[in-house]
Amino acid sequence: MTLLDSKQGNSHDPRRKMEQNVNRGDAIIKVEGVSQAFGAEGDPRRVVALESATLDIARGELLSLIGPSGCGKSTLLNIIGGLTTPSTGRVTIDGQLVKGPSPQKVAYVFQENTLFPWRTVIDNVKLGMAFQGVAKGEREARARHSLETVGLADFANHYPAQLSGGMKQRVQLARALGLQTEVLLMDEPFAALDEQTRMVLGEDLSVLLARTGKTIIFVTHSLVEAVFLADRVAVLTARPGKIKKIIHVEEPHPRKSEFMTSDKLGDLRNELYELLHDEIRKTMTHQPAEANA
Amino acid sequence: MTAATITSIPQSRRGPIMSPGWARLLAIFFLLALWEIGARLYADPLFLCPPSQAVGALQHILADPKIRNAIEVTIFEVATAFAMAVSMGLAIGLAVGLHGFTKQSILPVILMLYATPQATILPLFVLIFGIGPAAKIAFGVSHGVFPVIVTTVAGVQNLRPQLLRAAHSMGANRWQVFTSIIFPHMIPSFFTGMRLGMTAVLLGVLLAELYVSTAGIGFYTRLFAESFSPPDLFALISVLAAIAVTLNELCRIAERHFRRWNEG
Amino acid sequence: MRPQLGISQRLIQLGVLILILGAWYIGTLPGHINPLLLPPPGPVFKDFWQLLTNSSIWPDLWVTVHEWIVAVLIAAVAGCCLGYVISRSAYAVRVFDPLLAGIYSIPAILLYPLYLLFFGLGSGSKIAIGTTIAFFPVVLNTIAGLANVDKAYIRAAQSMGANDFQLFWSVMLPAAFPVVLTGLRLGCIIAFLAILGGETISSLAGLGHRIVSLAENMESAQMFANIVFAVLMAFIINGLVSFAEARGRRGFQ
Repeated sequence: MTLLDSKQGNSHDPRRKMEQNVNRGDAIIKVEGVSQAFGAEGDPRRVVALESATLDIARGELLSLIGPSGCGKSTLLNIIGGLTTPSTGRVTIDGQLVKGPSPQKVAYVFQENTLFPWRTVIDNVKLGMAFQGVAKGEREARARHSLETVGLADFANHYPAQLSGGMKQRVQLARALGLQTEVLLMDEPFAALDEQTRMVLGEDLSVLLARTGKTIIFVTHSLVEAVFLADRVAVLTARPGKIKKIIHVEEPHPRKSEFMTSDKLGDLRNELYELLHDEIRKTMTHQPAEANA
Repeated sequence: MTAATITSIPQSRRGPIMSPGWARLLAIFFLLALWEIGARLYADPLFLCPPSQAVGALQHILADPKIRNAIEVTIFEVATAFAMAVSMGLAIGLAVGLHGFTKQSILPVILMLYATPQATILPLFVLIFGIGPAAKIAFGVSHGVFPVIVTTVAGVQNLRPQLLRAAHSMGANRWQVFTSIIFPHMIPSFFTGMRLGMTAVLLGVLLAELYVSTAGIGFYTRLFAESFSPPDLFALISVLAAIAVTLNELCRIAERHFRRWNEG
Repeated sequence: MRPQLGISQRLIQLGVLILILGAWYIGTLPGHINPLLLPPPGPVFKDFWQLLTNSSIWPDLWVTVHEWIVAVLIAAVAGCCLGYVISRSAYAVRVFDPLLAGIYSIPAILLYPLYLLFFGLGSGSKIAIGTTIAFFPVVLNTIAGLANVDKAYIRAAQSMGANDFQLFWSVMLPAAFPVVLTGLRLGCIIAFLAILGGETISSLAGLGHRIVSLAENMESAQMFANIVFAVLMAFIINGLVSFAEARGRRGFQ
């Protein structure tokens, strides 16, 4: 039904086609031939961040984007979220073309801290709703509920500066949840956190997914995190980024902590490693050449 | 599969119509034009004049030997005050900054003096030094010495004690330590201090000159103001402004040149 | 750069103070320094105390303070408005920011004779010079504050659907506020200094005028007392303004 194939994939492996059938739900997001380039054609300094990415994302699935630095995974996320316009191609969400930010449908959790330091935690959550257009009377209740969901109800009146990194990310998540969108985009949300916090938050995210049925796309550098959380992992090549392969993780949500130490996860992680290793190497060797270009 | 493609403007290439430098000149030109037209049409010639008349007055202002002399005296006062402020400021700054003890006890006193409004003691300076160049030089020094002290202290502050210890262990005497380690280290901040000092000295000398309205440029500014000759006043002030800007700019170029030591 | 001052340093500072007072007292004993140039501490303190207790200084104090308040208000409004307008376009910032910084480097006191010509010897010329000088830190800081809002905040707000007004009011303004506040503080302080300077050069009333009159009449002790009073006023204003800035920043950092 849906062809989830990279347009310029270098092999048309029949086995790959089998893996790519989605069995969860219909596609809510369609990415079609999306490219992103900086600089004009023929300009020697032209950088092609992303090349012809085509991908369908099913309703209620958790898709992870992984790849070496500079492979365009954040760019792809920004394009899906409407924060960047692609050079070519288009994205549709629920059949509607993405032309700019879609706050009613898509909520974002950023890697860096985007909580406003001059407002309390709960005011931050409420402000997000104000931007989206939620009626004033509803905001308080929804904000409290979101904070409860992430376990920070007691910190509603604290200021972001008083919170740890993990707590700040949870507030960002609460703010995104408060928007009650169907899609959640997360750009390396746990990158700045220590590993233990990441594990705990990862498990929480899985629970959240199971409960709410949201569609989540998140970008990560961590192989284990990708396998542990995602239903599918899309591996991108080194720049110019193309979708190299999509790996399925057949494991129900919420993911149990035993899954983390299982052989299945280990095997998948190894498969990811093999796919990525060459790409990472390519990135390393490419860098000096690009600096002189 | 790929239906209509949407091409968008590639991210980086949305250049402005003209470079900021030219735009700036255009803006200045536009303002001058506005001033010119506005002054010609609306201004009472006793109070305001168009820039063209001011430029016209430049010639006879600069031709007058007495005015030229007053300007030269002012430049001399600035130069003298600057030299004195920089040397005194350097000496005091080093004396205070090199020893942590003096720094913590005397520096706050110096900072407090720095923060006092010196305009209030200007009449005192004139009482003490008279209405000649001495008062203006003294007042200029009084303004200029503080930024130099503060930046010198800041300049020696970051010196790592290991460097000094290493030098001592190799048998360097005080003078050698000073010339080979301390001095090069604080050169960049010193030039910043010089730039700030120049600005302060200019302020002090000009303030004193304007106050003493019986001689020097203060006499002429008062004369032109009281006789309601805006072109002459504008012209004189433009000359002084040009001198001030040139001196400030020279110090800034020197500072930028020597700051590279720090980064390099 | 906030060293913990130990007892010994405090003692040294106290010692320096005592030394200065002592030298003052001894230096002005009969036969030494000319009392017209440096009056003895006794009469100065007496006159200073009188200044504080009787109300003869209030009219002049009010003139100076009033000039300062008006100058600061005009500079604040003009600076913030122009700063806002310029900050809306990165190109405008590149064009005008260096221009304004360049004009700022000209000693503004040079404009004062022009203001005397135009506004006369009264408060108008003092307000004008105060406004002129205070304008620049306000406008430069407003531009800096608004143009340098962390892009992450803007992106986040846009991703949540903020419109232009919401973006400005709820994100950029609070983010820029601490920097703008610093500019206002600087403007307040240098406006006061400029106004005192203007009053010294030529005026009809005000704190600076009093000092000049007393100097011309060789009333040294009174002059010193008035100088101390004016310096005290400057410190009070500095303190108030710095306190206001610190309070304002606290909610926004």
